[in-house]
Amino acid sequence: MKFKHSIKTAYRGLEQNRARSLLTILGIVIGVTAIILVMSLGQGAQDLILDQVKGMGTRTIIVGGGREPAGVSDAGQIFSDSLKKRDLEALERKENTPSIKYVMPLVFGVADARYANDTFNLTIYGVSSLMEKIFDMPMKTGAFFTEEDVRARAKYVVIGNKVKNELFGADDALGKIIKMKGHNFRVVGVLSERGQDFFNFDEAAIIPYTTAQDYVLGIKHFNRFITEAASEALINDAAEEIKLTLRESHDLTGTAKDDFFVVTQVDLAGRLSSITSVLTIFLAAVAAISLIVGGIGIMNIMLVSVTERTKEIGLRKALGATYKNILTQFLLEAVMLTGMGGLVGILLGAFLSWAIATTITNFTNIAWTFTFPVSAAILGIVVSGAIGLIFGLYPARTAANKSPIDALRYE
Amino acid sequence: MSAGLHPFNIQYSAHLFMPIIEIKNLTKVYVNDEVETPVLHGVSFSINRGEFVAIMGPSGSGKSTLLHVLGFLDNYTDGSFLFEGKEASTYAGDATASIRNKKLGFIFQSFNLLAHASVFENVRLPLFYSDIPESEWGKRVNDAIEIVGLSHRTDFDVTRLSGGEKQRVAIARALVCNPEVIFADEPTGNLDSKSGGAIIQTLQELNEKLGHTIILITHETYTAEHARRIIRIKDGLVESDNEVAERRHTNDGILIK
Repeated sequence: MKFKHSIKTAYRGLEQNRARSLLTILGIVIGVTAIILVMSLGQGAQDLILDQVKGMGTRTIIVGGGREPAGVSDAGQIFSDSLKKRDLEALERKENTPSIKYVMPLVFGVADARYANDTFNLTIYGVSSLMEKIFDMPMKTGAFFTEEDVRARAKYVVIGNKVKNELFGADDALGKIIKMKGHNFRVVGVLSERGQDFFNFDEAAIIPYTTAQDYVLGIKHFNRFITEAASEALINDAAEEIKLTLRESHDLTGTAKDDFFVVTQVDLAGRLSSITSVLTIFLAAVAAISLIVGGIGIMNIMLVSVTERTKEIGLRKALGATYKNILTQFLLEAVMLTGMGGLVGILLGAFLSWAIATTITNFTNIAWTFTFPVSAAILGIVVSGAIGLIFGLYPARTAANKSPIDALRYE
Repeated sequence: MSAGLHPFNIQYSAHLFMPIIEIKNLTKVYVNDEVETPVLHGVSFSINRGEFVAIMGPSGSGKSTLLHVLGFLDNYTDGSFLFEGKEASTYAGDATASIRNKKLGFIFQSFNLLAHASVFENVRLPLFYSDIPESEWGKRVNDAIEIVGLSHRTDFDVTRLSGGEKQRVAIARALVCNPEVIFADEPTGNLDSKSGGAIIQTLQELNEKLGHTIILITHETYTAEHARRIIRIKDGLVESDNEVAERRHTNDGILIK
C-alpha cells in the first residue's frame, strides 16, 4: 500500500469521528501550547534581563563587599561592610590596576523623597561624577554634579524621570528643593526616561556618595565599586588586578577567603541567563506532563476505535491487508491526531505569547520583545509526533494482530 | 458480457481443469483455554478451476470453518490443503494476505462494506493492498461495477443502497482484483427472495461467462441447487459430494427459499 493511500485512509478514519478526534487532541493542544508559551516567555524574560545587563556596558566589573551570598540563607553577606575608603584609594592607584580605566564607589539605600505635598519612595544611589562616564546617562534637563560637588558633600540630586513626574508633574523640577531623610537636596538634573533597566534609574535619586554616606545612610563603607576595564580584552586581567589589590589591602594571605567578590558583566549575564534557563526548562517539564496525559488519552481513544472497527480490520485483512498495512493505518491515525494537536498548540502558544508580549509592552514601560521559539516549535512537533507513535503503537499492534476471522465474526 | 474479450475473463489454458483446491483428511481443532474442540474431522475433496460448488450443511457442521481454511483466513490442524498444487501451510503471514488479495474474493452474508464510503471507494478497497498499478484502478473499479449492474450508483454512499445493491457492491469488490476463486458465504442470507435470486444469477454468470471458480456456502438446498455440484458437510465430515442433476437457473430473478 502506498504511503499516500495510507495517509488518506487514516484521514478518513479520523474524519468519521470528527468530534471525538477534536476532543482527543485537546490534551496535546494544551500541552504544546503550554510548552510554547513557557519557552517563548522564558526567552523573552532572558532577552530582557540580558539586555539590561548589557546596558551596564560590556567592560563593567562590579566589586561587592563580603562574600558573594551562597544562597538565600546567606543573603546577609550583601550587607557586609568590608569595602573601605583605603580600598578605593588602592584601586585608584594605576600601578595596582593598570587594566582599569575607572573606579567608582557606589552606596545605596531607600528613602522617601518629599516635595510640597507629594511623597515618592525611591532608591538613593550615592556615586561619583564618573557615573556619567561609566553609564550612558542622557539628561532631560540640567547637568550631573561634578567631582567638586562630591568632595564638598554637596546636597545636590539628579532624579529619574518617574521621580520627576511623581513629585513635580508637568512643572519644572530644576533648582527645586526636595527633602530626603530630613535633608534638603537641590535638583540639579533630571534623567531622560530610560525604561526598565538593571538599576531602575527612572525611580532613583542620584547624589554624591560622600553626601550619601554622611547625611543619608550614615555609613563609612561602600556597597559596591563599579569599575570599568580599559578594553573588553582586559576584563579578566582587570578582575584579577582588583582581587590582588583588595586581598593586599585587606591583609588576606595564603588560603584566607576573600571578603569581597568580583563580578564581570559577562559573569552576571551568564548567571542570570542560566537561572532563567533552568526556570524555563522546569516549567516546560511541568507542561510536558500534560503531553503525557494527552498521550494516554490518545491511546485510550485509539483502543476504543480499534475495538469499534474490529470488523473493518477483519474485512481489510480478508481483502489482502498485511500486518504492516493495518499497523501503519492506525499508527498514522494516532500520529496525525497528535501532529495536528501539536500544530494547533504551536500556533496557539505563539499567538498567546505574542499577545502577552504586546500587552506587557503596551501597558508597562518594559521593552518586552516577542520571540517565536523556533526550537520549541520544532520540539513541539517532534514530541507530539513521537507521543502519537509511542501511545499509538499499542492500539495499532492490537489492531494489526487481530485474526481476520475473529475480526470478521465480531459483532 | 462476452466471454474471451472481457478483462475479467480468466485465461483459458491447459491447467484450467487441474484442481485449484485439493484437500485430503483435513482436520481443524480449535483450542481455547486448553479445551480442544474438533470441528473438521478429516475432509477430503478437490475443486477444479471453473467449477461452481455449493458447500451445504446445517449450522455447526463445520462449513464456515472449512470456508475460512480454504480462504486462507484460518489455519488447519492436520491433513493436506493444496492450493494451485502448493501446500497452503507453507504460506505464512504476508504471503497469505497476498493470496487473499490476488487469488481470492470474498462475499459475506452481512456485506461488510465500509460505511460512509461510496460504491466506487468500496470496490476500490482491495486495490490498495494489491500491486496493480494505480493507473489501472479506475477502469478496473468501473468495469467491476458495470458487471454487477451498478454503474448508475457509482458515487452513491453505500448506506443509501438496498440490501441487494449492497451485496452487488460486495461482488464487485470481490471481482476487482480478478480472483481465481470467489467464496460466497451465505450471500443471500440477509436478502429477500428477489434480490437473492439476482445475486445467485450474477454468481452463475461470473462462473459461466467469465470462468471464475465459485464456492458457495449455504444451508438452503434450493439455493445450493444453482451450483453444478453440492458437497454436504455434517459433523465435520463430507456426507455427500454430487453433481447437481437438475441445475436451477434464476432467469426469472426469483429465489425461492
